[in-house]
Amino acid sequence: MAQPAGRAVSAKLEIRRVSKWFETGDGKVVEALRDVSLDVDEGEFVSIVGASGCGKTTLLRILDGLIAPSGGEIRLDGRPIAGPGRDRALVFQLDALFPWRTVTDNVLFGLEVQGRVDDEARRRAAELIRFVGLAGFERSYPHQLSGGMRQRVNLARALAVDPEVLLMDEPFASLDAQTREIMQAELLRIWNASRKTVVFITHQIDEAIYLSDRVVVLTSRPGRLGEVLTVDLPRPRGLEIKRTAEFGELVGRVWRRIESEVRESVGVPA
Amino acid sequence: MSVRSAQADLGVALPVPAARQRGFVERHRSRIRAVGSILVVFVLWELVGRFVVTNRLFFVPLSSVFEAGTSLWARGQLQLHLWTSSLEFVIGFGAAAVTGIALGAAMAVRRPLRDYLDPWVAFLYATPTVALAPLFILWFKLGIESKVAVIWLVAIFPILLNTLTGIEATDPDLIEAARSFGARPLQIFRKVMLPSALPFIVTGVRLGLARGLVGVVVAEFFGSKAGLGYLILFAAGTFDMATLFVGVLILALAGVISTEALKALEVRLAPWRSLRAAR
Repeated sequence: MAQPAGRAVSAKLEIRRVSKWFETGDGKVVEALRDVSLDVDEGEFVSIVGASGCGKTTLLRILDGLIAPSGGEIRLDGRPIAGPGRDRALVFQLDALFPWRTVTDNVLFGLEVQGRVDDEARRRAAELIRFVGLAGFERSYPHQLSGGMRQRVNLARALAVDPEVLLMDEPFASLDAQTREIMQAELLRIWNASRKTVVFITHQIDEAIYLSDRVVVLTSRPGRLGEVLTVDLPRPRGLEIKRTAEFGELVGRVWRRIESEVRESVGVPA
Repeated sequence: MSVRSAQADLGVALPVPAARQRGFVERHRSRIRAVGSILVVFVLWELVGRFVVTNRLFFVPLSSVFEAGTSLWARGQLQLHLWTSSLEFVIGFGAAAVTGIALGAAMAVRRPLRDYLDPWVAFLYATPTVALAPLFILWFKLGIESKVAVIWLVAIFPILLNTLTGIEATDPDLIEAARSFGARPLQIFRKVMLPSALPFIVTGVRLGLARGLVGVVVAEFFGSKAGLGYLILFAAGTFDMATLFVGVLILALAGVISTEALKALEVRLAPWRSLRAAR
């Protein structure tokens, strides 16, 4: 089935039967994704969870246009995408900030390569830096900032090009647990204010549920679409919602779905 | 002590707890020791020249070197030698820097070009190219051209290879990030690869500069009418130790000043790197 049932006819982002295989050096073919179809609505926050190596990052790179799918297609507002575009921005797993640029210049990078730097852009960049809570650090260099602060710059850099879809590849994976919690709440605050369409990748189930409208489970080898879970917890959500029974219930459901694969990947049978 | 001096080399200011702010002597201890060491050797030089090795065919005191220098200057000869060598060096080294950076960058981004040039770069880099100096004198005669050619040839390789390495060492995540924002290949080169390679390039320029200084002297040894190398060779031929040391000391000074200036530039261009190194 190419068309997932029960969704709006024209979604913001349409992923249609996307497959991806890679050829390894010794001529073998590795299948990373098989027949993945998913619709994401305008302003929706969707997380994709799965065990490591399930092809989550590959899918996100295809959505950004950094790599082409082997089969299927992606449509944004009904138009097929081919290559990176202004309408999408990727927030990287490692903070891929330019070490020789100040916070402001990092935030302006996307606008700069797109030839859109003017006074208005600079004003917006300054505003975004305040918005992500980095006022006073405009002239600092990445190596002078903490991990959480660098990841905020990363987010501001992606938001600066004013994308319609924000693609986030495990942005908080390298942060410690406490910083991570704070950053999750910060991301929700920013998302609430900007209402971007977000596709968020993570291997942390509670993070996915806390942030998302829907959580999509991607199974491994090859990556295929598993359960799609609607999270109907009320918004705005505070961090305390993580300690409610409904939240625990949802985490349990997703966990049961991927438990066997995680066990297999670490060699601990049930 | 070696760690401290390495940090001083990198120009890293280590944070000092406010409770124990140190005095001038403590803060500049390494530098004071270095200057002291130089002064002691100069004094020893003077004493050995005056009282130990008194045969002026083998050694002269430092004061005689200064006398020879001022006398050469008064006769307008030192200026001529300085001007000749400087001109040769500026043209030869300038050409080496421009062509080295351009070729290194081109080889980094164009695989076929790199494949064609790699064996020659490896071959010429491993060869002590100063050995080709006599050949260049034959080809280009005694004028400035032969010296420029020798300096260019000895100085270009460290610059070329460091540029190549620097561009290749660009973090692939940064290139990917730039691509994700829709950067075109030329923009990726200018805004990501080049700034990322800049500290490497400066290191290459510093190494090339040291080799270029050797190139000036050697090229002038093999045939010239003026220049510091000529001055040294001529002084040695007439057993004029004082004049010989004038040439050597000027070259040493030029080498130290330019090397230190470029080291300082390396730290300024990549503060994130030296901070990491110091941790």
